[in-house]
Amino acid sequence: MIFTKKTGSAVTASTGTARLSFLKEQSIKTVFFFTAFFAVIVVTFILLFLLRDGYPIFSQVGILNFLLGPDWAPTAVIPLYGILPLIVGTLLVTLGAMVFAVPLSIGCAIYLSELASPRTKKVLKPAVELLAGIPSVVYGFFGLIVLTNFIRVSFDIPTGETWLAASVLLGIMALPTIISVSEDAISSVPHEYKEGSLAIGATRWQTISRVLVPAALSGIAAAVILGIGRVVGETMAVLMVAGNAAIIPEPIWNILSPLRTLTATLGIEMGEVSVGSEHYSALFGIAVVLLVITLIINLSAVAILRHLKEGRAQGPARKPLISSAAKESLARFGEIIGIAVLLIFLLAAAPWWLAALVLPVAGGWYFGRDRLSQNQIQMIAFGLVGLATVIVLAILVIILQDIVVHGLPALSWEFLTQPPKDLGRAGGIFPAIVGTLYLVLGAIAIALPLGVGAAIYLVEYTREGRITRLIRTGVDLLNGTPSIVFGLFGFAFIVLYLNVGVSLLAGQITLALMVLPTVIRTTEESLKNIPQSLREGSLALGATQWQTISRVVIPPAVPGIVTGAILSIGRAAGETAPIMFTAVVFSSRFLPDSVFEPVMALPYHLFILATNVPGSSTNKYGTALVLLLLVIGFYSVAIIVRTHFQNKARG
Amino acid sequence: MSDAAIITTNNVNLWYHEKHALQSVSIRVPRNRVTALIGPSGCGKSTLLRCFNRLNDLIDHVKITGEIKLDDENIHAPSTDVVTLRKKVGMVFQKPNPFPKSIYENVAYGPRVHGIRDKTELDRIVEDSLRHAAIWDEVKERLNDSALGLSGGQQQRLCIARTLAVEPEVILMDEPCSALDPIATAKIENLIERLKEDYTVIIVTHNMQQAARVSDYTGFMYLGKLIECGKTGQIFEHPKEELTENYITGRFG
Repeated sequence: MIFTKKTGSAVTASTGTARLSFLKEQSIKTVFFFTAFFAVIVVTFILLFLLRDGYPIFSQVGILNFLLGPDWAPTAVIPLYGILPLIVGTLLVTLGAMVFAVPLSIGCAIYLSELASPRTKKVLKPAVELLAGIPSVVYGFFGLIVLTNFIRVSFDIPTGETWLAASVLLGIMALPTIISVSEDAISSVPHEYKEGSLAIGATRWQTISRVLVPAALSGIAAAVILGIGRVVGETMAVLMVAGNAAIIPEPIWNILSPLRTLTATLGIEMGEVSVGSEHYSALFGIAVVLLVITLIINLSAVAILRHLKEGRAQGPARKPLISSAAKESLARFGEIIGIAVLLIFLLAAAPWWLAALVLPVAGGWYFGRDRLSQNQIQMIAFGLVGLATVIVLAILVIILQDIVVHGLPALSWEFLTQPPKDLGRAGGIFPAIVGTLYLVLGAIAIALPLGVGAAIYLVEYTREGRITRLIRTGVDLLNGTPSIVFGLFGFAFIVLYLNVGVSLLAGQITLALMVLPTVIRTTEESLKNIPQSLREGSLALGATQWQTISRVVIPPAVPGIVTGAILSIGRAAGETAPIMFTAVVFSSRFLPDSVFEPVMALPYHLFILATNVPGSSTNKYGTALVLLLLVIGFYSVAIIVRTHFQNKARG
Repeated sequence: MSDAAIITTNNVNLWYHEKHALQSVSIRVPRNRVTALIGPSGCGKSTLLRCFNRLNDLIDHVKITGEIKLDDENIHAPSTDVVTLRKKVGMVFQKPNPFPKSIYENVAYGPRVHGIRDKTELDRIVEDSLRHAAIWDEVKERLNDSALGLSGGQQQRLCIARTLAVEPEVILMDEPCSALDPIATAKIENLIERLKEDYTVIIVTHNMQQAARVSDYTGFMYLGKLIECGKTGQIFEHPKEELTENYITGRFG
């Protein structure tokens, strides 16, 4: 009796505190919900503001005339707003980039997942990640100085700024995305398939080409689609090398013709247009079209990857999407297309020695392959796969060595600590370095709390349902939005509508929105890696949910969150498009006094030096090198943090 | 053992990292008979099986010494082509592992990789193999469906058909029934009985009744050593070694 009484009173005594803590728990949950829902709000706002400013052109010109009009001449006496050449330009550049990147990437992915020794892999994977870390303006700079020159000389044409240059450069930029996602897909094919095939007496190459790659095909498809998304949304690099003539190449396969993409148009014209004009509205119309295209591309990639994950978890029992007969005829069809493309390319553009080389090889292969033994075929295939990997590495080495060799002489104490003189030809880049640091630190200060809160809500507070699906879609959409679209949104909403003006703050907010998905995702990953048993252990001791999260779940997740934050900083530091209309000026002798003043930034400084200031070669390379080192520095710190804590966790 | 041997091993030792997983194993596997390898978990029976088609090559840090002969040829000799070896020595795995392709494509895979392109020839091989594996009647109407839609027992018989399609001499079976229900197990056991007319079967099992039911010869392994090997009846009724007797009578396991 006495015993029962005692317990009873203990419970009554705690009801008051229980209610209080319930209220506290609820309010914490609500706060997290809003951080998570923020992504959806941002996406909605982006769409609304682009549509608001783009609507006039749709109503004046008509959607069809806008999309299919053959002439883009917004500054002519009678302005024409047809974006067909821009759409075609975007499609052609993307197509060319994929022709360049897909074979290389898949070869490299096969090498990484199936042929490389663990030690080689340990070197190669960071190298591929490094390729992803190079800022797009540095790619553009390299393309402008080295690649276009190379094309000009080897094809003997007046200028190398062509479709070919844009496609090769964007292809290079898409490599890391396609390689890492396909490598993942091939590596996660169940080991039993491989053993089953080898046990039948198939060679390693037969196993790879007939079992592993087909089994990983949807993952590889998603990788290619993500690569396409990267290419379509890219602005700075393509703007610097594509020549930017708003024409449809004549004939259509003339890869030595200049052309202009949707993104480049925004990058070039947005800075010079008068706000509220027809032209201004047309640019926002372009942004809407661009956004719609990239959203479709990214959502389909996400859908494929998600379908893949779920299918694998449940043990798939679905019918193959295409029957084997259809597959065979598709393969034959593909072969014919390939030959046709090759022929057209050889006839239209390639120098004669290439044709002389390619034709006998292709012919020999076509007629001789039945006579080769499986071992010989395997040797050839492994040779090609190895070659693809070597090419990818060579590209990385060429870019890095070009920038390091030419950039090192510019580096000096004065260069790093002085303001620029004579339009950046002389003097230093001190204000740009500081401006970039201000921008990224501000951006991460905004994005980190929002992103971590959103991830905590998604992982800890909800089950999968309609709301999480909406939020996740919002995050995916935000992640797929091209950086130039963030730039336009930042200009229309933050600079003009909120009347913040072109300022440090506007740039920080814009960059924060851009990196938000990265923060959310990396945090989500590290929270999911915390074993469920820890949570259950804490809850079973009577801890509240928030106590469990804050004391048991978050501490071990901190390294992952920090890594994500540093990766975001690195990404933000290299971006040009989001800040060029919202935050930066080219030349400033002083540092900003408050967040309401504009700043200089490294990527934009490099962009202007490279495109608008002739005769500043040393300082261009110096700026490129500093930017590269800064970004790579952030990434290296992130990787070091990650491995350090991984090793620690292992004991 | 009176029957002629197809595989003989002489003093085979295998190390995995520091672990001495097989210790001087010498065994003769008779042709056209079913040989069962039994023993407690971790005794090395699967490892030994995977030596016969050199599937251990796939694993890092494995070192093998000693001699393994198939038809009097050393399978580790430099002149041996591992692909040809695996064509002669097929394998059925513990967990059914059909490829994510159609039923037809699964069986046709082996012949295709070995260079058969003729459609009628392939059709014939596929049908024969499926019949031989006693699954033809169940799948003949849906050869183009995904193999992943079959039940576990059907998948395992499909994997056997896939192995038969390559026309091996030896079939290795690594606990082929451990993932199956009793009815599916009975079907596979009947199948094994019939397979020995044309093939040599080596089956790893931890189910002693199964070994007694399906095999002609049995080898008992313990802690990486082959303790005893002989006719199944003799092993189960009059084991020579005390360890074997203890295991068979269930005194450890």
